[in-house]
Amino acid sequence: MVSYIFKRFLYMIPTLVLTSILVFTLIELPPGDYFESYVNELRAAGETVDPKLIEYLRTEYGFDKPIWERYFQWATGMLVGDFGYSFEYELPVREVIGDRLFFTIIVTFVTIIFTWLIAFPIGIYSATHQYSWGDYGLTFLGLLGLAIPNFLLALIMMFLANEWFGTTIGGLVDPEFVGQPLGWAKFVSVLEHLWIPVIVIGTSGTAAMIRRVRANLLDELRKPYVTTARAKGMPEFRGLMKYPFRMSLNFFIADIGGILPTVISGAEIVAIVLSLETTGPILIQALQSQDMYLAGSFLMLLGFLTVIGVLISDIALACLDPRIRLQGGVSR
Amino acid sequence: MSVSSTLLEVKDLKVSFDLQKGKIEAVKGVSFSVEPGEVVAIVGESGSGKSVIAQTILRILPRNANIDGGTVLFNDPADNNDAINLAGLDAKDEYLYEVRGGRISMVFQEPMTALSPLHTIGNQVQEALVLHHTKTSREARSDTEEILRLVGFPNPSLGYEMYPFELSGGLRQRAVIAMALICNPAMVIADEPTTALDVTVQAQILGLMKELQKKFNTAILMITHDLGVVANMADKVVVIYHGEIMEAGNVEEIFRRPQHPYLKALMAAIPHFDMKEGERLVSLRDSEADKPADTIHKLAAKFRAQDLGKINGPHLKVENLRKEFLIKKGSWFGSGENKKIVAVDNVSFEINRGECLGLVGESGSGKTTVSKLIMKALEATEGSVSLNTSEGMTDVLALSGQELMAFRRKVQMIFQDPFSSLNPRMTIQNILSEPYVIHRLNTAKGCQQDILDLIQLVGMEPHCLNRYPHSFSGGQRQRIGIARALALHPEVMICDEPVSALDVSVQAQILNLLNDLRKELGLTSLFISHNLAVVNYVADRIAVMCQGKLVEIASKEQLFANPHHPYTKSLLSAVPYPDLDRLLDFENIKYTSSMDADDWGATFKSSQDAGLENIRIDSGHYVLANSNCNRSEIRA
Repeated sequence: MVSYIFKRFLYMIPTLVLTSILVFTLIELPPGDYFESYVNELRAAGETVDPKLIEYLRTEYGFDKPIWERYFQWATGMLVGDFGYSFEYELPVREVIGDRLFFTIIVTFVTIIFTWLIAFPIGIYSATHQYSWGDYGLTFLGLLGLAIPNFLLALIMMFLANEWFGTTIGGLVDPEFVGQPLGWAKFVSVLEHLWIPVIVIGTSGTAAMIRRVRANLLDELRKPYVTTARAKGMPEFRGLMKYPFRMSLNFFIADIGGILPTVISGAEIVAIVLSLETTGPILIQALQSQDMYLAGSFLMLLGFLTVIGVLISDIALACLDPRIRLQGGVSR
Repeated sequence: MSVSSTLLEVKDLKVSFDLQKGKIEAVKGVSFSVEPGEVVAIVGESGSGKSVIAQTILRILPRNANIDGGTVLFNDPADNNDAINLAGLDAKDEYLYEVRGGRISMVFQEPMTALSPLHTIGNQVQEALVLHHTKTSREARSDTEEILRLVGFPNPSLGYEMYPFELSGGLRQRAVIAMALICNPAMVIADEPTTALDVTVQAQILGLMKELQKKFNTAILMITHDLGVVANMADKVVVIYHGEIMEAGNVEEIFRRPQHPYLKALMAAIPHFDMKEGERLVSLRDSEADKPADTIHKLAAKFRAQDLGKINGPHLKVENLRKEFLIKKGSWFGSGENKKIVAVDNVSFEINRGECLGLVGESGSGKTTVSKLIMKALEATEGSVSLNTSEGMTDVLALSGQELMAFRRKVQMIFQDPFSSLNPRMTIQNILSEPYVIHRLNTAKGCQQDILDLIQLVGMEPHCLNRYPHSFSGGQRQRIGIARALALHPEVMICDEPVSALDVSVQAQILNLLNDLRKELGLTSLFISHNLAVVNYVADRIAVMCQGKLVEIASKEQLFANPHHPYTKSLLSAVPYPDLDRLLDFENIKYTSSMDADDWGATFKSSQDAGLENIRIDSGHYVLANSNCNRSEIRA
């Protein structure tokens, strides 16, 4: 087990190196750089720019060096936690993202828990009561959640929350708490605002999740070992949990790899509509203004989390399913 | 003790299923009874409702099933209560949970799927015990290991920790039997308990069930389609057809004096070993449409017009064929080692023009791999396959490009599973014209007449062509598969278990059809099967395979009269006959499967100084034995 995990870690190194090269090439691809966009912006506003200053900045940030050298500097910097400098915010990238990461993680984590808490019981009910009124009704609600665009739902919820509960529009805390250290009052205010993005982001995920839990469980319920368990005198619910439900969990665990990246990137549009101080809007903005180190580091972080997520789900699958743990593949 | 002694009495039971197209009556008023310690067999074809009866007794029917009437009286000899009507209880009644697994338990058909792949054997076997008796985990474990030992696990405490996929099919079925017996129930329902097993393993499992049944005095309700199994196991027989009982009685009456026409027909439809030359199986329902004679003549002429090979000699020759597979063994530590599996080991045989060679062996013996190597669907590791053509013997394994395409027309295959071997999204018309399209043989119009001829040749009506495979039964689909294989006028036909997925009555039809076609069209064929009786019916010569090796080859008369290899002998002795005078001898014969090669004796094993060699017994009869062995001793 230890050597398996160790080997999985070794596999991660070339993957991450390749990802970083890909990310760096991608953000270099569009013509021009941040300073060009910056100069254009200033000129459009009718201001003059001192070309010497721009030239100075270019040298200062190493833009006169060849591309591979800049890549090398960026990549090695990341190893020691230096993600580069954001031109737009005029701050190190770490500080720009760091502040918002906390809120992002809270929103996403609560959303994931919300999704699971709703989706699993409903999925199990739907599968065990297939084609009943309850199944149809819950399926309908789920599809409704899937079909309504998130931004629309976000606007409606924001309006209703303001009408009924007087919650301030937008953001994750009341304006008076912005920039203050976390205290009890701020925490309550966060909770007051949190449920809107959680429901908005959660509905579509929940609906998809219900469908998948239901489909996977239905497949398993038809298997003969379920009949075996019933013939042994196993009470229905205990049998359901021990055999088919556990078998149907595989898909769900394989999914963890995809969940981690959404922890920091997910639901950008909703975040903009609700003006949440999460990381999603920053990524979009950074890509628009060619703030390359910010965007690049951000994408790198996504890649890193994906690799870690896949690792976690692989290890969990091996723990849970003896067939994966003990059986090898056949080669021709 | 309660007043009446009957253990289980089913009276006028009616069960139906709600389907989208309406109600289907699966069981229509069935009555029978089981006495304590008795073995009762319910015999019937698929769809006869026999499994539904079993599920009704335990009340584990699917949700869309309804019990419309009748009673299932269960009188537990362990308590003093009166008989309880299981069919009348509420689905959530606690007594049902007590009966299931505790007083009446079940053995299932497919030991792989009947066990959960995620839980250890011990966990699953022990579950019934833990549910019905309060035991400490240590007691439960020792009881479980005891029952595993009883059903023949060589190392019970290791077996306890193992997962189903780590065990062979026979051991898995033993685990399922252990699971059924662990609470010492009054009755075991065995639903096709040996159908998925090889014939030698089947004999072992049947012997085990008989032994345990005597030991614990458990009643067995055996559900099967195999009259051979019934003759060897049952005290009482109930024959069921379309949800109704055709005939019931003790085993003597049923086999010696069958009364009902259905039962008589069922018995006539089974191929057996004493068939005379040219004797035909009588198929149960005579659905064979008359094949238009002129169509057959026309097609036969087309087949015979082909090139008959330049030289005399065998039509197909296989020499020293070998195929290795690499298996990667996964493990928690390191990469695991690659293991080499020899699936086919030094196999040689010849098939003459127009001859049918039967290839027999248990699952995993390499039969299908041989057929794939001949088709060049797999690359052989060593050896050669050659086909007699106008250019002399052509090495098939060296063919490529155009020549390979031309070869593909000459060798065609009929597959085992008629359900998955036809594309469900193609009409029969498309399925049958595809070979012409692939080989660019004919225009759409030109091949239409051929397709019409083909579909009639296999005994189906032309109007079937516009329909999809799902609207046909298993037997009809297999006919379509045969028609597709014949479309290109092949010279060699490889039949890979063509009837093992079919019911007895349908099996008889398909076997007759294959036999007729082979004779009328002069096809050379390789017939692969695990069923010796079936091979005996169609083949001229028989080759026996075991663990990738061809251990014995002979004409069928020689093989059945005078088997030499211990594996062949074991295979022949393990076949259950539907004949009360030729029962399996469970007590005296140890039925060895290929796994027990150690018991073969020095004569048939390779030794340090000598390998294995084909030893001639008689003209055309060879057996694989140690090259240093005493030949006269073998021949004796």
